Amino acid sequence: MSSNPGTEDLLRTLAPQVLGVLMRRYAGLDSCEDAVQEALLDAATQWPATGMPDNPRAWLLTVATRRLADIRRSESARRQREEAVYLATPPAVLAGADAWLADGQTPDARDSDDTLILLFLCCHPALSPSSQVALTLRAVGGLSTAEIACAFVVPETTMAQRISRAKQQIRAAGARFAPPEAADRDQRLRVVQQVLYLIFNEGYVASAGEELQRTDLSAEGIRLARLLHRLLPDDAESAGLLALMLLTDARRAARVTPDGALVPLTEQDRARWDSSLIADGTALIARTLATASALGPYQLQAAIAAVHDEAASVADTDWTEILALYELLVRVSPGPLVSLGKAVAVAMVHGPAAGLAATDELADNLARHHRFHAVRGHLLEMSGDSAAAASAYDLAARYATNTAEKRYLDRQSRRAGGH
Amino acid sequence: MKYMLIIYGNQELWNSIDPAEFAKEIAAFDVFNKKYYDSGELLGAYGVADAAATKLVQVADGQPAVTDGPYLETKEYLASWYLLDVDSEERALEIAADLPSTKFRPTEVWPILHEASRETGVDMGVV
Repeated sequence: MSSNPGTEDLLRTLAPQVLGVLMRRYAGLDSCEDAVQEALLDAATQWPATGMPDNPRAWLLTVATRRLADIRRSESARRQREEAVYLATPPAVLAGADAWLADGQTPDARDSDDTLILLFLCCHPALSPSSQVALTLRAVGGLSTAEIACAFVVPETTMAQRISRAKQQIRAAGARFAPPEAADRDQRLRVVQQVLYLIFNEGYVASAGEELQRTDLSAEGIRLARLLHRLLPDDAESAGLLALMLLTDARRAARVTPDGALVPLTEQDRARWDSSLIADGTALIARTLATASALGPYQLQAAIAAVHDEAASVADTDWTEILALYELLVRVSPGPLVSLGKAVAVAMVHGPAAGLAATDELADNLARHHRFHAVRGHLLEMSGDSAAAASAYDLAARYATNTAEKRYLDRQSRRAGGH
Repeated sequence: MKYMLIIYGNQELWNSIDPAEFAKEIAAFDVFNKKYYDSGELLGAYGVADAAATKLVQVADGQPAVTDGPYLETKEYLASWYLLDVDSEERALEIAADLPSTKFRPTEVWPILHEASRETGVDMGVV
């Protein structure tokens, strides 16, 4: 968007705030959002030459309002009645009279409310997960359609279609620019958290070669999770989500080789883990667990990640603690993949036979899932059955749908099979 | 997640369809394509020419040699393929079932394992 990272950060922080103001005044997510995008583009192209304006927020709001007037004017053939009311008030008057501008640079409570409402709106349950992700990155994250398309490796036209469709669906669902009903709030917040986790995870699985080209979605997920945590400091799961991302991202440099090959947790060079991210994540999850009234899945996964991150080696890992956390996780968020994670902890505490026995009951659900066979391969190897381990890895490789994982599993199979 | 839907067939099969019926089917495919382009889930829809138009290229001693026809001894050939980008395998299967031809002939659904980057040519893990 801009060659200056400071400017880009500022623009992307201001984007949802400006959008919030437009939404409150004029409603209509689709045109307001387009107007903000155009204003961001104007800023990115003009500021390097003119210098940053004294009040960047006021500048953006004025330009976005003008852009919105242009957009609505071009629609006016169809919607002349609405137009008359809107154009009666000149944008400059609207912008100048706004108390929002008067208070200068510090984002106030209204901005925070607006950004939170926007997050809820972009993660509306009427949308598919990929549409929620795309809209959140654009409207709250301030990324352009081209950047989002590039990050997800789809054509820009496809992404544009997805975003405009998502806006239509939100309108069709009758959503307004208002916080969700109290009864729905928890459920809606869980969707927001899930969307941010999807964004983070999409970046996390990317291999080294991609990072050079793709927008860093992990960083984007963390940025948005920080925002959510700042907006809802007392929500334990939002804090847990941020901690989980920090503690997972801390291992990033160690989890792929320079040529993109995957390195499993057990073989990672822990000296390459990011100790400041680990310290931040660990402090956050410890603080959260100490005060949380109920434990949720993100807090527990963060706690598990913290135990791994604190250990100097696999052997030094407190597997008893991890197993205890998995017992809790299975209770609050049951599912075959959680049980599979628990089976690994069972094996580390009680031996591979116990771990393998714990995987047996998962076969019905996970028979076609690569991770199930990869775990079986690992546990069979621990128990000394190399031939069975090799064929389990082989099966895992066949079910893998990610190149880096498939290559890793192929290597494991050859290694366990002794060739 | 990206998936490829594949339809197989042969000239005999196409010939066996009544022309009026065929036109209706083509229209149904147009509706299908529009529906999923609009939803942002269809990345591309392609149909290939008859097997008779196919050429085979081989390189022997550094020299390309071109011959006619598909290599495989098979009665049915690749006819069309669709590239999807969807949230889940379930969704890919749902779209495959919605493909107009699936009510006559099965459609294969293949997860895409990797894709070369447009910029670098480097393999990209597709999630």
